[in-house]
Amino acid sequence: MLPYLLRRLAQSLVVLFGLAVVTFLIIHLVPGDPVQQMLGARATPHTVATVRLQLGLDRPLLAQFGSFVGDTVTGRFGDSITQSAPVGQLIGQRIAPSALLIAYGMLIALVIGVPLAIVAALRPNGFADNLIRVATTFSFAMPTFWLGLMLALLLGLELHVFPVSGYSGGIGGVLRTLTLPALTLGLSLSAIVVRTLRSSLLEVLQTEYIDAARARGLSERRVIGKHAMRNAVMGTITVLSVNLGFLIGGTVVIESVFQIPGLGSLLVQSVEHRDYQLVQTLALLAGATVVLVSLATDFLQAAIDPRIRLASA
Amino acid sequence: MRRPSIALAGSALLACGLAACGGTSDNSASSVSLKPTTAGGDSANVSGMCAGTPRTGGSLVYARQSETQVLNPLEVRNGNGDIFAQELLFNGLVRSDPRGSFDIQPALADRWTISKDGRTYTFHLRPGVRFSNGQPVTTDDVKFSLDRFADPRVNTVLAAAAAGYDRTDIIDDATVAVHLRHPVAGFLYNISIFPAVITPKSLVEREGRGFWNKPVGTGPFTVSDFVRGSHITFRKNPNYWENGKPYLDQVRFDFATDSNTRLLSLKNGQAQIADGVPFSQIGSVQGTRGLQIQAVRAPLFVGLWMNNRRPGMDDVNVRQAMQYALDKDEINKAIFHGVGTSPNSVLPQFKFDGDDSQVAPYRLDLAKAKQLMSQSRYPDGFETTLQYPAGYDYYKQLGLFLQQSWAQLGIRVKLIEQDQATESQRFYPGDFDMTFPYAQFTSDVVVPDEYAQFVADPSNGLHGFYSWWSDPQVTSMVRQFTSSTSDAERAKLWPQIQRAMMVDSPWINVMDLPFVNAHADSVCNTTVNALGADHLENTWLAQ
Repeated sequence: MLPYLLRRLAQSLVVLFGLAVVTFLIIHLVPGDPVQQMLGARATPHTVATVRLQLGLDRPLLAQFGSFVGDTVTGRFGDSITQSAPVGQLIGQRIAPSALLIAYGMLIALVIGVPLAIVAALRPNGFADNLIRVATTFSFAMPTFWLGLMLALLLGLELHVFPVSGYSGGIGGVLRTLTLPALTLGLSLSAIVVRTLRSSLLEVLQTEYIDAARARGLSERRVIGKHAMRNAVMGTITVLSVNLGFLIGGTVVIESVFQIPGLGSLLVQSVEHRDYQLVQTLALLAGATVVLVSLATDFLQAAIDPRIRLASA
Repeated sequence: MRRPSIALAGSALLACGLAACGGTSDNSASSVSLKPTTAGGDSANVSGMCAGTPRTGGSLVYARQSETQVLNPLEVRNGNGDIFAQELLFNGLVRSDPRGSFDIQPALADRWTISKDGRTYTFHLRPGVRFSNGQPVTTDDVKFSLDRFADPRVNTVLAAAAAGYDRTDIIDDATVAVHLRHPVAGFLYNISIFPAVITPKSLVEREGRGFWNKPVGTGPFTVSDFVRGSHITFRKNPNYWENGKPYLDQVRFDFATDSNTRLLSLKNGQAQIADGVPFSQIGSVQGTRGLQIQAVRAPLFVGLWMNNRRPGMDDVNVRQAMQYALDKDEINKAIFHGVGTSPNSVLPQFKFDGDDSQVAPYRLDLAKAKQLMSQSRYPDGFETTLQYPAGYDYYKQLGLFLQQSWAQLGIRVKLIEQDQATESQRFYPGDFDMTFPYAQFTSDVVVPDEYAQFVADPSNGLHGFYSWWSDPQVTSMVRQFTSSTSDAERAKLWPQIQRAMMVDSPWINVMDLPFVNAHADSVCNTTVNALGADHLENTWLAQ
């Protein structure tokens, strides 16, 4: 197990280094200059040159890459050029809202998705199944900005249950301000949960060991809950974990609709302003999360499914 | 009528007051108050809630289009998102009239004299002014701040505004003399804007960069809480120098970059005022009970830049023909909900501008346009491109409108949508035929000096403000204009420059636009200066 773990970690480091190189090149090669963006119509060639010099943007690319790697390895992350603040501090302030939003949204997706998937799988092609499939297709196909606005209109503006936008910390604050955005996220993710879980449940329910379990006179609840779900849930976990990586920075639309100070909006803003340091660090962070999550997923699957445990042992 | 006078706004107000239009959805009446007014105070009275004396207390939430990122005026990073927050915290020696006229008013200096040669300005400090921490404003602070303003290594954003600054001498405890190397006609205007604010020398020196997280200034408010990406909260400065002001105890800027979100929080009552109302949603806000639109005159314009070295753009007949082929009234109606004004200048609205009788705007005249085309070197038209910034539906609409208008002259325009950073990257080296270089194109000062020099001073390396157009006569007029110390002479000169540039049209100003804000009827006296910055020290909440 340990050599396997070490090998996976080493692979991850190579992946992350590759990611650093690629992000660095992409953001430096696309047209656009942070200083000109910052100064706008006031950008005379003289001021642009002065500011470039001050920010160290006049140095050769290799030197800039070197200091980016150095900053990252030492954990200092450098300064954001367009916000005049340390990158670490900027990201630190924004991690919590994003992480909570994603976790809360996933929770909602599971709470909505799992029961619906079971109901749908029990009577495939029945009325309930069709209704559920239509409804989830609908919620998945709706653009999140529209879904979010509709929820804000209904539950915020009309019913006054939640504020239409904004974010505040603490348990009460999170429940108040993040419920609508998490619901928006959860509704669109629940389609994924329902779809994957329903199809793998259907598959599992046709296997012989389910027949055997039923023949032993186990209650339907036990058959589904213990025997079928355990096998069927693997696919859903994999799909959700892949999505988790995507959601780091991928929640930007929801963040902007609900005015949540998260990583997604920071990333978009930093790309718009060509804030090299910030873009690179955020991309690296998202990459590291994906790598870590896929590692964790492997372990989780091993814990749930003895076959994986035995195979890798 | 190019610009509604204060008198007109006043009469509109009267008509509106009688009809009580602000609080109703009576469109005919509220569209009157839509004309850019010089002062927000006018529109606030419309609802009738704001009659009587201002009430002290309460807190205001302002949903803002641009985030505040940096509170240091010498390091502005996010345009008006930064500048308009700084305006609440600091003052300069003088300021632009908070009620929106183009005049300069006393601020931390209560009076000043200008030497005959125009090279020495003597400022007398207003007695008894204190910073928000209680420490008095001294001549040391003034000298320190002005020296920083003029140092291009410190003032990285707009040191050009300090052009001509030589030094500040402290005369006595309450008097400083600012010496210029040569007369600068717009000097008072230049020191009325953000980088020339007065900050406490001892604190700035001692705290360094940390000072700017919760800066100490003389403005009506101080920072109590700043969460990047979310909001900034201001609290009343008890030491503010204007008697009895500010009325509000607290102001919070909620950063809401999404325009739907801004309007939703306004309709929901979460915010009481919002800026950046999209043109397409003005009608919806007007139809909402309890809300009103405030169109604020600002030096904001839709500048369509032309590269005068490119085929087509290199012929004045073509550029004029393109002006004549545009139905600007229709553009205003179809795209800008009628809040724009048809320009009679290629630059935004400035002090000293001549009116329509002095400088005529181009009106739609297709016959004339075609005749000009036939006189040009391109009688059969030509192919060209127009670049515009992505993410703004009105630029897309405008691009299509222009494309169709000019197709009638045989000009085949290819539209290129690209993100703002790419747009400006291609702008500076002249990699364009036509472009809208900035989505929000505004001037920093209310006098034309800065932009006039950008256009006509060949020594600054800006190539005629990136149009690659030049005219020796305009250059010499601008030189005379920017160094004259007589306002009367300047007022006579500028319309001539304005006309010369309008006739030659090195580029096209498609539309002068106001800033479009919206607020609840209970928000009174929302004053805004001529640069579009809110003066919330005058604002109060009706019960």
